[in-house]
Amino acid sequence: MKRKHSYQMLSILFLCLIITIVISLGVGAVYISPGEIFQQIIGSSPGSSFILTNYRIPRTLIAIVVGAALAVAGAILQGILKNPLASPDVIGVTKGAGLFAVFILIVCPTASMLLLPLSAFLGAAAIAVILMVFSYSQGAKPHTLALVGVALGAICQAGIQYFMIKFPDDVNTTLLWLTGSLWGRGWSELWMLIPCVALVPFIIIFASKLDILNLGDEIAVGLGERTKYVRYTLLSMAVILTGLSVAVVGSIGFIGLIAPHIGRRLVGSRSKFLLPVSAAVGALFLLIADSLGRGVMPPVEIPAGIVTAVIGAPYFLYLLRREQKK
Amino acid sequence: MTNLVQKQKMNKYIVLLASVCLLIIGMILHVAVGSSAVSFTEVMKAIFAPDDSKQTTIVQTLRLPRAVLAALIGASLAAAGALMQAITRNSLASPQVFGVNAGASLAIVIAFILFPDLTSQSTVYIAFLGAALGGMTVYLFASGGKTTHVKLALAGMAVHLFLSSLTQGVIVLNEQATDVLYWLVGSINGKDWTHVKILLPWSFLGLLLAFGSSRSISILVLGENMATGLGEKVKWIRFFAGILVIMLAGASVAVAGPIGFVGLIVPHIARKLVGGDYQRILPFSALLGAILLVYADILSRFIAYPFESPVGIVTALIGAPFFLYLARKGRNIKQ
Repeated sequence: MKRKHSYQMLSILFLCLIITIVISLGVGAVYISPGEIFQQIIGSSPGSSFILTNYRIPRTLIAIVVGAALAVAGAILQGILKNPLASPDVIGVTKGAGLFAVFILIVCPTASMLLLPLSAFLGAAAIAVILMVFSYSQGAKPHTLALVGVALGAICQAGIQYFMIKFPDDVNTTLLWLTGSLWGRGWSELWMLIPCVALVPFIIIFASKLDILNLGDEIAVGLGERTKYVRYTLLSMAVILTGLSVAVVGSIGFIGLIAPHIGRRLVGSRSKFLLPVSAAVGALFLLIADSLGRGVMPPVEIPAGIVTAVIGAPYFLYLLRREQKK
Repeated sequence: MTNLVQKQKMNKYIVLLASVCLLIIGMILHVAVGSSAVSFTEVMKAIFAPDDSKQTTIVQTLRLPRAVLAALIGASLAAAGALMQAITRNSLASPQVFGVNAGASLAIVIAFILFPDLTSQSTVYIAFLGAALGGMTVYLFASGGKTTHVKLALAGMAVHLFLSSLTQGVIVLNEQATDVLYWLVGSINGKDWTHVKILLPWSFLGLLLAFGSSRSISILVLGENMATGLGEKVKWIRFFAGILVIMLAGASVAVAGPIGFVGLIVPHIARKLVGGDYQRILPFSALLGAILLVYADILSRFIAYPFESPVGIVTALIGAPFFLYLARKGRNIKQ
């Protein structure tokens, strides 16, 4: 793909993102018009400022960061596993975070709000560590990583189900969390996502290594890369991004799976462009899903995770078919 | 040479004998063990010379149907798994990994919520519909030809995730969640003879047809060209086997919920024991599946004693490490 074309793509996506942000800020149980939002931002204060500053703005920002983080994590995983079907949810990282979070939600529901994201993150990290240990002896080959991930995911799933059956009273909060929703998330949750943003420079540095890995292990080694080390570093980055995202919004699926695909169609597979474009697509995707969930039948909210599944899955099936025909 | 063949034949009979013994012991244990222990003689008495005692009632109405159901479901799921591994020529195939179970669950959960007073008879047909939905994706892949093992597993996983997140969504938006949740893990707790009656015809028919067509299915494993060359109508066999999978897995899910991993691991064990011929793998898978689920169901009573845990958790705890082992071994799993 041409470089100029990629920059054009990025700016178009950026524009879409701004429009969606305005819509997302306006939609909900109380409708706020774009004019009011604009006035609010430049400083004059109409009546809706309370809703905006306390609820809608942090929520929108969270949607952007989480969507982008999941998409980048997915793009990285698809790169290192050399498999267009990999994503944090498919290889069990999300499930690991879910298991630890459910444990906290159920066993000590009175624990401070900070414990939940921390444990979710630990869960994702634990799965990642086991994943690395199991795949190490095979030189972290893509297919071992993928299969071990699927198996670990299944174990975590069994654990989650065990907790839900054992403590049926807390099932609704747990389920809502497991589906993934941005309901009631505010500024304090947004601050937890700071590490994601802090990770950006490292990801930019490592992005080019992804391209080298794509050439195949022999060539990568020939070019002086320590493939195992590179793969594990990239994997840890993906885990940090996923762990924090899941910690804040619950296990929202299909973003990490689909956003990189759309990104690849838009700008090709060079990581330098693929990662930012995927991030933008992911942010857009989650923002739209959240706005839809809020706007379709207010005041009832459909969890964003369901909306992403409903939008994402048909697209994914279409991708599968296309892949098959090749 | 003849010696070796004879030895293999001997081995086969020994394995068969051992499995049958194991199954019988398992069934008796299954009936005897529980929150109210029943001794061996009492079990025998309750089965062969029933009287009005408390033990007889427990055995006849609670324990026995459950043991029979465990064996039937185990056999059906394992046979379904073996069939799927044959049609896809993929050692990672199973009703769970490919979303057949998840499809059936989704269909049933939706039906539960739309028509709360549905009879359990008709849930079977709804489960078939859902299982077919999940199975269709597999069929599409299997007929494509060149997909690698891992890609197929990941694709199945994604389909599974999609269907189960839809199921979750339906439950979140509806309040009567807890009953369905218990069912969703896969459990044969509290089932009685009516459930056996629902499952038995489908299971029996499915297994019989599977055994009957096992020769053609064996040929399928040789590859499409070879099978066609040997005069088999590959497409039809695949289609037929697919229907059998839907029947076996769908009926099991309708009765007991999506019990995972039985269909994945049992065919592997069977292959280890009796070799790669599906004429032997299919019946042995059914037998071993029954054994696995009967023992798993016994274990499920002790995980959170005195409360019963769903048997699906036990099979996941046994099955997932086995899957890990398969993934690590990697020898059979070519990329």
